[in-house]
Amino acid sequence: MAELWNTLILEPILNSLIALCSILGGNFGLAIIVFTVVVRMALLPLTLRQTRSTKAMQELQPKLQELQKKYAKDQQKLQQEMVKLYREAGVNPLGCLWPLLIQLPIWIALYQSIMQALAATPENLLNLAQHLYSWEPIVRAIPLDEKFLWLRLSKPDPNLILALLVGATMWVQQKMVTPPAADPRQQSVNSMTLMMMPLMFALFTLSFPSGLALYWVVSNVVGIVIQYFIGGGWGYLRRSSLSDKPVPSRDVTVTKSPSKVLKKGTEESKVVSKATETRKKGFFQR
Amino acid sequence: MTLCPDGRFNLCLGVLLMFSLSNLPKLIRMVILLVVVPVIVSVAGCASPEWQGWSGVAYYEGTLFVGSTDGKLLAMNPSARSGDLSFPAADEWVFPIPTFGLARPVCGPACASPSPVVNIYATPRIADDLVYIATYSGESGRILAVNRVAPGYTEGAPMRSKGEWVYPSVLESIGAIVGSPVLYDGMLFFGSSDGKVYALDATYGEKKWVYDTGGKIWTSPAIADSVLYVSNYERRLCALSIQDGTLLWQKEFPASIASSPVVSNGKLFFGTFDHYFYALDATSGDVKWRFKGGGWFWATPVVKDGVVYAGCLNGKVYALKADTDVVAGEKLWEFSADAPIIAGPVLTAGGLAVASKSGKIYVLRVEDGDLVRTVAIGSQIVAPLCAVGDMIYIHARDRCIYGVNIELGEVVWKFSTLIK
Repeated sequence: MAELWNTLILEPILNSLIALCSILGGNFGLAIIVFTVVVRMALLPLTLRQTRSTKAMQELQPKLQELQKKYAKDQQKLQQEMVKLYREAGVNPLGCLWPLLIQLPIWIALYQSIMQALAATPENLLNLAQHLYSWEPIVRAIPLDEKFLWLRLSKPDPNLILALLVGATMWVQQKMVTPPAADPRQQSVNSMTLMMMPLMFALFTLSFPSGLALYWVVSNVVGIVIQYFIGGGWGYLRRSSLSDKPVPSRDVTVTKSPSKVLKKGTEESKVVSKATETRKKGFFQR
Repeated sequence: MTLCPDGRFNLCLGVLLMFSLSNLPKLIRMVILLVVVPVIVSVAGCASPEWQGWSGVAYYEGTLFVGSTDGKLLAMNPSARSGDLSFPAADEWVFPIPTFGLARPVCGPACASPSPVVNIYATPRIADDLVYIATYSGESGRILAVNRVAPGYTEGAPMRSKGEWVYPSVLESIGAIVGSPVLYDGMLFFGSSDGKVYALDATYGEKKWVYDTGGKIWTSPAIADSVLYVSNYERRLCALSIQDGTLLWQKEFPASIASSPVVSNGKLFFGTFDHYFYALDATSGDVKWRFKGGGWFWATPVVKDGVVYAGCLNGKVYALKADTDVVAGEKLWEFSADAPIIAGPVLTAGGLAVASKSGKIYVLRVEDGDLVRTVAIGSQIVAPLCAVGDMIYIHARDRCIYGVNIELGEVVWKFSTLIK
């Protein structure tokens, strides 16, 4: 099984990465960036499918919650009703699983490739030797230059810059697709999740080779760009920032009826919100 | 939680969390959590061993010395091991190499796996009453001289009265050491990951000279006629004077050098990553011939009676004529093993012993490469072999030492280095 993994997934990715490095003048950092963008673009159809399925599932959540309340004591009926709901909405609950299934091995292989290509330990180097194709440009590209900007790609970033970048880009990406929940309890869980993941990955970055963290940052940025264009703008990131925005106190006077300024602000918010909503729906309505 | 020491497990954990905490329906989250991630993780090889290192076995006056994968130096009596006596028997001891207060790297939850701080790749060297062991601790390394009869280190500090020392000191370190040190004329020479070659007084551990080659050194130096030859990862081979470390000559190659050089009869032999095996004039560095193999030459070659035996990662052993005018080298014979050859071959009375990564030891006739016999130990072999008479001692990847009688073709004893 491991042989199959190496031959079909790891070795093509590893050798492509090194060949790319060779083409890009031996700059491995640049090779990671270009390769990540290429991989994310190649996986775009899958990402779109996943986004679509997740979105559809999210839209069904209120109805599902209703069903769960309604049939809390009859599990069999609940299952039947859920299946019925999925069928009526034309949604396959496993629809968002397949794209993940295909992407996950590629991510793991990419991670392994970065680790092996940089040969941070003698074991890595020995593994690398056994996975390289015997093409001269690839063989002669070793050893790769692990220096990129201020980073040593096989070592963790000693500064906090990369950790902050990983955390921030991940937060933005997640925020763009996480809808606010009506239920305050659910909202607090969502907020926690939204903070937890970026925080954890930022902490991982402190001990992971920075080559991998670079991959995360680029992958997140590409994810944000994709989400921006297919989701119609900044999605829930913009909407929540608008709704959270406090009204400037100097413009507000306490009167029985809302001031002209406040009225105008509210009107503008509505317009922006509507526009955002329209843009957000853009892709899915197609 | 210690499946993947190099962080792979942490990545898997991250991926798992990423999906399990996302807005996916509960059913899908459960499927990912319980089935998908473990399957992919196991297929992707996340269950790799948590330890590092492949110290070979060294033999000195009836005792075997080896660095274990959990950072210990062991002295073993082969007679006691073949008699299956409890460890430690007479002339045996175990010495946990001190960490010298080395702090763990700064890390968050990603550092879940407690991988050993001290790893050992270098084979110990022995002279008189001292055993020399080099360490690999992430970025840093040290070399320790330990009393051969009974280590005297107390609370991590060497016992001077027993002649022990540590270089550079208990408070300082140099780059991590992978290649085995070499003893020559009362001096100890070794290369380090910081790219430097160090020459120390073997008795007191005092630095004689240091030379920076400009690229990390993961190979062992070779010495002949007061000249030290060392290769580095940056495709360079340097010849230095052992007196003061003066550079005599250096040569750049198209690819990195993985195998430690061997010098014999005025020629230097080693292999490179681009599948070439080189013979250089040891005095000038001129290429005499180069032979194209089918893979990386990782194993240290062995030379005898005008023939060079080189193991290759394509699973072949090549017997090449050492003195030839043919620019492309002159192959006398080749033998195909079942797996890559990582451990260097050794010459025994019965022939040339070659170990493949799969754990098979092939005994070949030196004249024509014909197979005499095969012994399988059942574990991967990466560390250099140690041949003593009819016996070959192997530190295998299952973290056991094997005593193999090459004439009988059988494993005589096996001993686990995991000692509490």
